[in-house]
Amino acid sequence: MKRVPFDMGDIDIAWCPGCGNFKILDALKQALTELDLDPEKLVIVSGIGQAAKMPHYVRTNVFNGLHGRAIPAATGIKTANPELTVIAEGGDGDMYGEGGNHFLHAIRRNSDITNIVHNNMVYALTKGQASPTSTIGFTTPVQVGGVTEEPFNAIAVAIAQDASFVARAFSGDEDQTKDIIKEAIAHRGYALVDILQNCVSFNKVNTYQWFKENTYYLEDSHDPLNRIEAFKRATEEGKLPLGIFYRNPDKPCFEDTVPAYHTSRTPLFKRKVDVRKLQVLIDSKRSG
Amino acid sequence: MSKKVLMRGSQAIGEAAVRAGCRFYAGYPITPQNELTEYMAEAMDGLNDGTFIQAESELAAINMVIGASMAGARAMTSSSSPGISLKQEGISFLAAQELPAVIVNTMRGGPGLGNIAPSQSDYFQATRGGGHGDYRTIVLAPASGQELADLTRTAFEYADKYRSPVLILGDGMMGQMMEPIVFPEPIDVRTFSPKSWILDGAKGRPSRIILSLLLNPPEQEDLNWRLARKYEIITREIPMSESYMTSDANMIVIAYGTAARIAKGAVKRVRELGLKVGLLRPITLWPFPNRPLKELSRHVREFLVFEMNMGQMIDDVKLALEGRGNVHFYGRPGGIISTPDEIAKTINSIYHRQHLEED
Ligand SMILES: Cc1ncc(C[n+]2csc(CCOP(=O)(O)OP(=O)(O)O)c2C)c(N)n1
Repeated sequence: MKRVPFDMGDIDIAWCPGCGNFKILDALKQALTELDLDPEKLVIVSGIGQAAKMPHYVRTNVFNGLHGRAIPAATGIKTANPELTVIAEGGDGDMYGEGGNHFLHAIRRNSDITNIVHNNMVYALTKGQASPTSTIGFTTPVQVGGVTEEPFNAIAVAIAQDASFVARAFSGDEDQTKDIIKEAIAHRGYALVDILQNCVSFNKVNTYQWFKENTYYLEDSHDPLNRIEAFKRATEEGKLPLGIFYRNPDKPCFEDTVPAYHTSRTPLFKRKVDVRKLQVLIDSKRSG
Repeated sequence: MSKKVLMRGSQAIGEAAVRAGCRFYAGYPITPQNELTEYMAEAMDGLNDGTFIQAESELAAINMVIGASMAGARAMTSSSSPGISLKQEGISFLAAQELPAVIVNTMRGGPGLGNIAPSQSDYFQATRGGGHGDYRTIVLAPASGQELADLTRTAFEYADKYRSPVLILGDGMMGQMMEPIVFPEPIDVRTFSPKSWILDGAKGRPSRIILSLLLNPPEQEDLNWRLARKYEIITREIPMSESYMTSDANMIVIAYGTAARIAKGAVKRVRELGLKVGLLRPITLWPFPNRPLKELSRHVREFLVFEMNMGQMIDDVKLALEGRGNVHFYGRPGGIISTPDEIAKTINSIYHRQHLEED
């Protein structure tokens, strides 16, 4: 394999042989390389899970934080230093379960972060409980009688809330996944990439073969600017469409609305305090 | 008489909970305590008159327990350290609203995400309240399979009796160990005396309101006084500890849970060498068993606290001793399990440094 700047070389990787995460890792590193990004200007933030181990395998800045909290940490990083490219990455349990509330508000806030979700429809790290995207009837040692809750449709939720970029990929198709990740990172504003991923150890239902047979790409004629159409495709019955469902290029990006960045993009830690302005503030709060 | 069964610690808690009449469990996956969740899932499924919910987060789980408790069910949740931190909001509310619930913490190394190895890193969090506000939680620290089962029953009884959250502190080692256990007979939940405060429909009586928002300071003060009086009663009624070879001892080791098992091994070893050393094992961590320590301090000067952390319970030992005696500490944090030999060496060196008399 050709070396890319984000490659860690010969390292131990904790995933099982055949895990879809390997393909996502390759696709991501290739996307970052093709975008010609500087590893020093990139931060990958993750929570906890098998998917959340991903940044350990990429040569760049990494914050591996709390389960479910990758998005708020990523938001903090981006809004403290908008010069950085920020990716928030993790599993479906991490992003839609524990971190589900943050997911909703990240869409509303529209900070310029790329949210990559490895969706294997199971909690892999904790050894096989149902996740928010597990299908009805999925049985595990905890879901003894099978899952009864409707799986979380992140794509439809994101479009309903007018997320600025919404896409779904399949880890089995490395090239297309890479292209989608590239578009997501290049997009300004919150970008969701939900990547269907086979888990060889804990999901014997939604296997590589199952995903192959139950996915297809949106037609070239699909117009990602058409929100109603995108929502229809996100909620249609049967096979799962892949590709870019929706984008809204007109949505203001959060960092652009923060007064600190109206005139300059200088990161906060490099700024000098304006004592004169501070004095005006203090004076305004003085009583009498 | 029930017969002995060989069971893992985490499953023992589950079985004992069901036998104690627990009919509601909500949890969220986290290692190393998923076997308990699995046990509860299967038990509730099999019983057909219990509810199991895998929640979307620990916060959801503890709030579901709050709901189930105010609706009258014996309710339980469980997690491990980082997940227990998330439950603290709910534990504070359980305390404020005087709702019974049992919370199991299978402690792991921390702070932060830490690891999944056995640890006693959450002693402060458990015994000082943990969440915000002026409250306490009852904290039980079992040290054997049998005690896991017995104290789980006790936890549900205390929770109802004192209308308070009760914490059971364990660790991954205790959860995994297989020991023979005799379970108490299952309780028939229909025999529980009716709870006069639950939300069960207001037909023919005024509505009940459960809340903890008391904007009027005198009302908040009333609640705090009421809680304080309750804590005083609990402090009088339930402190529990085990004394092992303490009667002739001139040095006492103090340890709880897994650490106490290790310490007991060390005490046995040094006894063989003729050192007069005993073990005091707190079983309730809050309220702390002050009295036996105070009594021991009449004839013992050297105390060694052993914990699987950097020193937390040692504060309570010092409070109990009120300045009498020398309090030494040995601890290994981060999920490292000390050996009885390690503790024995520490005992030995203190013993000789202090010129204590041998047999
Ligand atoms: C606060 C907290 N709760 C729970 C956990 C346990 N935990 C670790 S990873 C994980 C979810 C794993 O599933 P997912 O995010 O879908 O990632 P996967 O392992 O499937 O890639 C959970 C529940 C934790 N580490 N911290």
